[in-house]
Amino acid sequence: MAAEPIAPLRGLRNLAILLAIWEVVGRLDLVAGGALPGITEILLRLWEDRGDYPRHVWATLAASGAGFVIGNFVAVAAGVLFALSPVALRLFRGVNIAVFALPPIAIAPILVLTLSGMAPRIVLAALGVYFVTMTATVIGLSQADSRATDLIRAYGGNRRDELRLVLFRGAMPSILAGLRVAAPNAVLGAILAEFGGGGRWGLGAYLLGSLGRGEPDRLWGIGLVATLIAGLSYGAFALLSRRVAGATRAVTLNSAIPDVSVQAGGPALRVALAGGTIALPFVLWWAFIRLTGVPDLIAKTPWGVVDYLFLAHTAETAQARLFAALAETLPITVLGMFAGLGFAFALAVSSRLAPRAIEAFMPVALITQTMPLVALTPLLVLILGRGPSLTLWVTISVTFFPAFVTLAQGLALVPRSAEDLPRAYGAGRWREIGMVTIPASLPYLFAATRLTVPRALLGVMIAEWLATGRGLGNLLNQSRGYLDYGMIWTVAAVSVLLSVVFYQAVVIVERRVLRRMGMATAE
Amino acid sequence: MTAPDGIALSGVCKTFTGRGRVVEALRDVTLSCPQGSFTAIIGPSGCGKSTAMRIAMGLEAPDAGTVRIAGRAPLDAARAGLTGIAFQDAALLPWRSVRRNVEVPLEVLRRPLAASADHVGHLIDLVGLTGFENALPGELSGGMRQRVAIARALVTHPQVLFMDEPFGALDQILRRQMNLELQRIWAESGSTALLVTHGIDEAVFLADSVVIMHAGPGRIVERIDIPFERPRQPHLFSDPLFHETCDRIAEALHGG
Repeated sequence: MAAEPIAPLRGLRNLAILLAIWEVVGRLDLVAGGALPGITEILLRLWEDRGDYPRHVWATLAASGAGFVIGNFVAVAAGVLFALSPVALRLFRGVNIAVFALPPIAIAPILVLTLSGMAPRIVLAALGVYFVTMTATVIGLSQADSRATDLIRAYGGNRRDELRLVLFRGAMPSILAGLRVAAPNAVLGAILAEFGGGGRWGLGAYLLGSLGRGEPDRLWGIGLVATLIAGLSYGAFALLSRRVAGATRAVTLNSAIPDVSVQAGGPALRVALAGGTIALPFVLWWAFIRLTGVPDLIAKTPWGVVDYLFLAHTAETAQARLFAALAETLPITVLGMFAGLGFAFALAVSSRLAPRAIEAFMPVALITQTMPLVALTPLLVLILGRGPSLTLWVTISVTFFPAFVTLAQGLALVPRSAEDLPRAYGAGRWREIGMVTIPASLPYLFAATRLTVPRALLGVMIAEWLATGRGLGNLLNQSRGYLDYGMIWTVAAVSVLLSVVFYQAVVIVERRVLRRMGMATAE
Repeated sequence: MTAPDGIALSGVCKTFTGRGRVVEALRDVTLSCPQGSFTAIIGPSGCGKSTAMRIAMGLEAPDAGTVRIAGRAPLDAARAGLTGIAFQDAALLPWRSVRRNVEVPLEVLRRPLAASADHVGHLIDLVGLTGFENALPGELSGGMRQRVAIARALVTHPQVLFMDEPFGALDQILRRQMNLELQRIWAESGSTALLVTHGIDEAVFLADSVVIMHAGPGRIVERIDIPFERPRQPHLFSDPLFHETCDRIAEALHGG
């Protein structure tokens, strides 16, 4: 038997095998009557279209790059603020969850109505990165080794010294993992805005223009280019974080009991905070509309949506349409979410069992997962048709990626000594995983679940908008066509509210479980 | 006027609430360590000895009672650079080299690093880590990491030295060596030392006074003065009087 080739070579070998299979299958038109062209056919088409690409690619890059920088800058600043001030964190909780839960596809039409030029694309890209990076920053800062921060405090250091000497450096792997996930998000956000907002240039616009022409090779070409951009941005940060994480891993297990957050202030303050948390998103919504100065007919304030849905003479039909759409959207969202999450968890845990198999699988997983969803959906439509299974697959793939990255990172931070202990007592890999890996990664599993919830809804809505013609996504698309501004704002508001409710449900379970286990919440 | 006690705890009480249970960690703990003395606290796990030390360092606030370090509030003393700290767990920053870990207190206190470069090098030499200045904690053994922590505790020329089981992770041979070293360093520095330990022999060898604590609630039950002359030599470990003292402390620990 020949010696096993070293890791990168093995990855290349697997990729080569995959490409060869793709080529054969494509050339023979084995998938859905030619929906999957051979790789060489796609490349040939790319070459033919080479004149079109630069301006589209440039437009997408510019928007997602600007959004990435702006969004991350705000996110890290906000993360530091929240890590330093629990009051601010609580007050902005509603805003954070709402920003996170905004299905970009629902917001795209709204941004196009209220902003102009490149602004909608940049805003959507920035929104796509904000929450991921902000959360990663707070997690990284708040999960610092309490022994190290004790040392700084014992020498009379203040919060700033802790930040400077311990927290920032300790949070780097977490922040970089956040940026890694955020980078493809920015591309996805920009393309979604191009998709939903018209405009001539940008890969989203190009894709939209080519969608109706039934040319699988061109659609695949655009999809590959979009994936390449997202994948390269992911890879750059993955490389960076690998260089940093090595020295940051704790050498011993920190067994200090995490601080139970002290409820400072009286009940009056707490009620005020809770009220502020709920009110702030609506205040910002209202302020955004007032600041952009868009007329009331087009831009609905929170009150405008209530009026549309409950008071206006068309309220009843509006409600009926909304509920019918919800009945189609909700079940498949829940199903897709659990499937995506389960798959991610199984894969992350088994990456401990069979690191080499995962290594071989990773390139494939990354390629499919960094593929911006809008670019992926038309291709999945070609293969899977426009039925419910399409929605399900899109949802699984959109939840899987962030969940897997979060979990894999959590597992990588499990201290060496904790893993060595069961092994030293002769425990097998499975025992070790059961005793150490899974419990230690629980905070990350919950964090991943929280991340996944709204994405599931996004996946479903994208599939509905682009392909199946059902549910909330379709309702949004239709309303755009009918210039039914009330319904556009209503769907956006309802989808955000739904996500927030799901999210809160996860948070409640998380608090209970982790408190019982004496672990800290990965906020 | 006499100098204030190096460490003075008076009537300190502390309770913790965790997972629905209330634990009385310290009840009416009063302890005074004169300037330049060496005091060891010994007691079973969970008797609150580490909590007492955390309160003395200013990491926890007592529910009742007062704390004075060299006549000042604990954190004021810390900010003035009067204290040195070695934790039970080395608590090294994993991304910093040995030298850069030793320098952490200087950075917190915003002292110029260049001025202390020789001192840092001397301390690393003192704890026997010459040649490892640029190693990362992950590359060191447990004992070596602990020695980095000792060097770090001494880097500020502290007046008051807090040590929470600093040699807990070391083997007996190395531990005795470090005890001798510590006695020398402490005598040179003239600092007030407070040592939390599990080791009776270590306490008797190093301290002027051994404080015995019991758990549930955490409290001081006895204080035994150790009369041996200084500097104490290694052969003290085999002195009959030494063993007698150790036995007395063991008795006091087991409910005496």
